[in-house]
Amino acid sequence: MGIILEVKNLTKKFGGLTAVNDFSFEIQRGEYVGLIGPNGAGKTTVFNLISGFEKPSSGKIRFDGIDITGLKPYKIVNLGIARTFQLVRSFKFLSLLDNIVIPCLSKRGKKVSKKVGAEAYASSILASVGLVDRARIPPVILPHGDLRKLQIGKALGTNPQFLLLDEPFSGLSHEEQEVLTELINKLHDDGVTIFITGHVLRELMTLVPRVIAMHQGKFIADGPPQEVANNKIVLEAYLGRGEGFA
Amino acid sequence: MVKEKMKEKINNFPGYLKSWGTTFIGGLTILCLIILTVIPFLSNDLKYVYVFLPQFTLAMIFAIFAASWDLLTGISGQISFGHAIFFGVAGYICAYFIDYQGFPTWVAIVLGSLGAVFFGLLIGIPCLRLKGPYLALGTLAFSLILLKLFLQGSLAHIFFGSEGISGLPSLSDDPIIEYFIIFIFTIISFIVIIQISKSKLGTIFKSIRDDETGADASGINTTKYKVIAFMISAFFAGLAGTFYALYNTAVNPTGNFGTLNSFFAILMASLGGLTTITGAALGAFFFIFLEYILIEIGVIEIGNLIIDVSLWKFAIFALILIIVVRFAERGILRPILEHLKDLWDVLMGR
Repeated sequence: MGIILEVKNLTKKFGGLTAVNDFSFEIQRGEYVGLIGPNGAGKTTVFNLISGFEKPSSGKIRFDGIDITGLKPYKIVNLGIARTFQLVRSFKFLSLLDNIVIPCLSKRGKKVSKKVGAEAYASSILASVGLVDRARIPPVILPHGDLRKLQIGKALGTNPQFLLLDEPFSGLSHEEQEVLTELINKLHDDGVTIFITGHVLRELMTLVPRVIAMHQGKFIADGPPQEVANNKIVLEAYLGRGEGFA
Repeated sequence: MVKEKMKEKINNFPGYLKSWGTTFIGGLTILCLIILTVIPFLSNDLKYVYVFLPQFTLAMIFAIFAASWDLLTGISGQISFGHAIFFGVAGYICAYFIDYQGFPTWVAIVLGSLGAVFFGLLIGIPCLRLKGPYLALGTLAFSLILLKLFLQGSLAHIFFGSEGISGLPSLSDDPIIEYFIIFIFTIISFIVIIQISKSKLGTIFKSIRDDETGADASGINTTKYKVIAFMISAFFAGLAGTFYALYNTAVNPTGNFGTLNSFFAILMASLGGLTTITGAALGAFFFIFLEYILIEIGVIEIGNLIIDVSLWKFAIFALILIIVVRFAERGILRPILEHLKDLWDVLMGR
């Protein structure tokens, strides 16, 4: 146990717009946490800041006792934080297997993959996300649900201890969501700490034991889903301020 | 463990070669190699040996050059419009060491290629902050700067001025031996480039081409690998450049640094088809022989209209490029291979 991720007074300004404003939270090792907020709340920016794709204007991020503020993305990945993107990304002219071989060739991925060989290791990951029968085809012809699985497969290739999932359920049918939920739950059972975003409350409520809510870049609530869902400020953020409402 | 694996690979190699030879691509490659081996002995005619055969040598030099461009742009996705930098720099270094330092030719070739690698590093590091078309313009600007520096800048006299360096020894006085030296180096270069593109390193290059952010998020140090791609590509471009210098037995700014060389590489590789590598060889042979044919045709007279066809070659090249881009954007190699494969299957009764 112990704190794995510590975010302190994180602020990110884009010109005059403050996307993330003095945001602080902590995540324990092995936790399963959701980050919620209406569209434009700054959830993706928080993820970009943690994973190094954007540099914070001020504030500190510590991972596993190491200050990772402003490190390059690949270095952060090699420390054990993997992420997926809100819009699916893939190496579109490489086969699914090669798509997962790439993260297995990263510094951190190599440590576990070199015993069995990158390709064998990648195909075991493909099997665990349920795509092993499609190893040789390129991702351009995959349906959206499988692309979401591929995203997670790519993140797993780097052998992460902390997984940032940015809206993994967007655009999926109910059945596809269930399959993916099962996959993510299994990863959590294997000991991976999971930090997940979503803008639809209902999806996340059933999944995670703890949610952090944000609105307009600011921290507004932290706690079990039911408690946060009934929080007045959270409701206002989602539904707007109204007399005699909620 | 590693040693055993290597041993196993080496033991399996003849068998691998045998089974590869019976595949369509393997058979075709061997056929091409046999044709290229036989060609120098087909005629004793002086014009054939001293004029026609060197065209093959030239085509093979440009094949290495175009393949190196394909490795950088087609495989790694780093668009370079200034590949003549490496081509020219290597040629100049090679020429300098032979003419002014009295180094043996082979040492000068190695030094020239390594000089190109150094330039790849030098230009790669600042340019790799640029992406896509901006990188193309950045490399183009670098090559123009170098051209002007060598041609007419106030430092030009240090860099041998517009005359360049001449009086280099050629690889061999016998065109046939020269042909075979280049032939062997072409084969080696192509094997190495193709193996790189198929290796794990090549897969990483392709991942950077397809999605750089995604490669970053997969823990790949993209900057490092882009610089590596620049250096490998520069090495082969440099090798081709030194051979070109020795082929012409002289170097001069426009001939070796000219933007035209960069565009030749682009033309050849895109005619054959990007990412195919072997397409670069096809494109090189096509353009070198097209140029040769146009020069051979020379002046045509239609009534009292006199046209010197060889002056129109660039217009014709550009026209071909437009046609290729319009009708075969993946290059002509893949469609040709597909048709040949159909024919092969019919002949084999499949």
